[in-house]
Amino acid sequence: MTFQQFAFNNVIRNKRIYLAHFLSSSFSVMVFFVYALLLFHPNLQGELASTSDTMSHLATMGMNISQYLIFIFSFFFCLYSVSAFLKTRKREFGILMVHGLSHKQLHRLVFTENMMIGGAAITAGIVTGLVFAKLVLLMSAKVLYIDKGLPFYFPVHAIWITIAAFTALFLVVSFFTSRLVKVGNLVDLLKSEEKPKPEPKASVWLSLLAVVFILAGYCTVFYFVIWRVFSLLLLTTGVMLVVVGTYFLFTQLSVYVIHSLRKKESVFLKRTNMVTISELAYRMKDNATMFFMISIISAVAFTGIGTCIAIADPGLEEMENPYAFTYVSNLPNKLEKEHVDLIKEELTASGFSYKLGTAAPLYTGSGVSVIHLTDYNSLALALGRPTESLSSDNEAILLPSNVTEKTSYERGQYPNEEMITEHNVEKAIKIQKAVPYIMLPEYGKTIVITDAKYKILMGEAAANEEAQTKRYLFAVPGWQKSKEVSNQLAQTIGNDYNNGSYYFSALVLNWISSKQENGILFIVSTLVGVVFFTFAASFLYFRLYTDLERDRQQYQMISKLGLTNKELHQIISRQLWLMFFLPIVMALIHSSVAFTALQQLVDYSVLEGSIIIFVSFVSIQIVYFIVIRWRYLQHLRQNAV
Amino acid sequence: MEILKVRELSKIYNEKIPYTALSNIDLSINKGEFVGIMGPSGSGKTTLLNLVSTIDQPTSGEVILEGQNPHQLQPDQLALFRRRELGFVFQSFNLLSTLTVKENILLPLTLDGTSIAEMHTRVEQVAGKLGIGDILGKRTFEISGGQAQRTAIARALIHKPKLVLADEPTGNLDSKAARDVMELLTVLNKEEQATMMLVTHDAMAASYCDRVVFIKDGQFHNEITCGDNREVFYQKIINVLSLLGGYRHDFSTVRV
Repeated sequence: MTFQQFAFNNVIRNKRIYLAHFLSSSFSVMVFFVYALLLFHPNLQGELASTSDTMSHLATMGMNISQYLIFIFSFFFCLYSVSAFLKTRKREFGILMVHGLSHKQLHRLVFTENMMIGGAAITAGIVTGLVFAKLVLLMSAKVLYIDKGLPFYFPVHAIWITIAAFTALFLVVSFFTSRLVKVGNLVDLLKSEEKPKPEPKASVWLSLLAVVFILAGYCTVFYFVIWRVFSLLLLTTGVMLVVVGTYFLFTQLSVYVIHSLRKKESVFLKRTNMVTISELAYRMKDNATMFFMISIISAVAFTGIGTCIAIADPGLEEMENPYAFTYVSNLPNKLEKEHVDLIKEELTASGFSYKLGTAAPLYTGSGVSVIHLTDYNSLALALGRPTESLSSDNEAILLPSNVTEKTSYERGQYPNEEMITEHNVEKAIKIQKAVPYIMLPEYGKTIVITDAKYKILMGEAAANEEAQTKRYLFAVPGWQKSKEVSNQLAQTIGNDYNNGSYYFSALVLNWISSKQENGILFIVSTLVGVVFFTFAASFLYFRLYTDLERDRQQYQMISKLGLTNKELHQIISRQLWLMFFLPIVMALIHSSVAFTALQQLVDYSVLEGSIIIFVSFVSIQIVYFIVIRWRYLQHLRQNAV
Repeated sequence: MEILKVRELSKIYNEKIPYTALSNIDLSINKGEFVGIMGPSGSGKTTLLNLVSTIDQPTSGEVILEGQNPHQLQPDQLALFRRRELGFVFQSFNLLSTLTVKENILLPLTLDGTSIAEMHTRVEQVAGKLGIGDILGKRTFEISGGQAQRTAIARALIHKPKLVLADEPTGNLDSKAARDVMELLTVLNKEEQATMMLVTHDAMAASYCDRVVFIKDGQFHNEITCGDNREVFYQKIINVLSLLGGYRHDFSTVRV
């Protein structure tokens, strides 16, 4: 038996221990690879396509940040898996060294083994990643009815990147692990299985720092959205602060809580508490790291999916255009009355209630359009906004024409006066107020003036032979379901392209077509969310899998002394509850902050979307918890008395 | 007063080739008695112990502990029965590495929901007797084998069980520690009136018993009782062992 053969046999005949390590490594390779595959996808180069500029910008940034996160976490995951793996093997190393294995040989053994597992993991990860990606791309395009989905491609670039990154990673890990095995003290190696890993150091300062970091991270993110300073650096800093803060929070918090619980005898010495708490204490370090990783990863998953639901939200369209139907009539238009009546009839026939507002904007020649107060109030009534009044002819109300203007008006940033042309002379008109909502969409800068003043300007415009436009704006609650009637109307009315005398548009049709445009973005974020969430779930799984053998022995021992099934159930349930839901709670807090931040960017409520995500993730987690608990208990009972 | 009665106990392992580990064993132990079970490897000593300790189910026959047959209990009741009525000492100590020495000793009381004041007084008492009062705060990997076994004995005795079952308690110890442990068990047997059943390989350990029962090939062989002289008793044990095993040198081989 040569040394290589020995190393090889060691792996092959010790499947169970190595399998956990191998599976977790190949899983992180797979996650990284699927992500790289998306990132280098030819259709996703440059800015991501979306109907909203803000959103494409944000989504592109999000993709970049998750790329860093995913690499960092793959690295952590591998290290974590290796350290768990080494812990179970220290005794074996001890035995080998007692029999005369030299340091050099030990390093070579560890190195060869690690590289063998690493190589297999890279291959397995890439192959499963390819299958997985193909499947997901296929399914997502079908499920979301996206015609122009993401095509599958053979990702040469992604494959190379993955191979390079992970070969480097495994080299580093192998190097570290051969150093990690401190060979100075053989007794320690032989006894290492019983010894817990050293506890993380806890200090008041670090705990404070954790809170400060998290708060600072939150503030940075809010600064980012409120002042709209869209810089990648700022967002990255915010995210990193939160990540570091969370790490300290878990390592510090767990030490404090467990220590105080251990000291409090009335709690600690109460029935099964002793076993539960001491188990937690024994794995303090592993648990802290795991809680940290799962909470960050789940937070990323929540936020990613949340953002993409927000993008597909009908509110995004409504935010820019509050009217379900727009009929623009350029005078003279003989069909005007006929068309408007038709829209009314069809809407009533299909059971939609509507409110109609009209506006006849008039361009004054100095970059500003005007509408009169009566028109404005009809629009306000249609949209359920308060009506306004003007005290004199020289005053006006400013209307925002897009979301950016709207937000700055909200903050009270608007000009004091605007220029209008009257008698060929530019005259200033005082802005009495600016309304912070869009009343007249798809039109330039508009102000509201008194009816009298409008008449004066109107006379001049008629003299200029300026074509008069009249807009009929229908506000319809529940317009999202108006696809059929909209299609019908669009067909009957059509658009007069020749003379341009009328123009009809339905919000729902625009919404559907923009959904197609946002489709790619949607697929990508869903995919990222799903990948991250599976990542988090597998963390839990491997954590339990690696320790299963030890746990089984432990509970077998206790059950010999007399432990009822109910008590075993209770101990396990408590531990698993903590493992499954503590990180999720932290993730919920983080992503709530992210959603609150997102809310600042958009006008409609993201509350419903976020609640849907939270509820669905928590329910998936509950199902996962129940399944895993059942399996785990079965395994533990196998040898129990 | 009879505390344990074993009647026509048999155990057959139904594998490909059915194997009779134990057949028609009768045994009774009186309150406060210290009984040793001896026999060569594979004679069924540990099977007998496992049946008495309810860790294993008999094929036929019955075990009566203070008028009660524990094998007729439901699994959960059985767990409670073991926790309250039995005390265990294992060859490999079976201490929980996540707990300190004190917590290990407390385990049966904690699981049963005893009051904290009571726990403390009992730990003090039992630790004092066993001479482990100064290592109570240590972890299991920080103590020696002898200390670990004394911790395990403390755990087996703290809830004042009706019967203490010891499976090769000296098997993992050196001769000095083994002698200490046996002397402690004898003292506890006398002072606490704790009934003990000891399965062992070691003639030295067995010589501390009041009575030693020999089994061979799953059947009762014979039994001898300690008179006034322990040295004579030891010699008698060795004689029976060499009769059983054929060679006088056999008795101290390590059990597989």
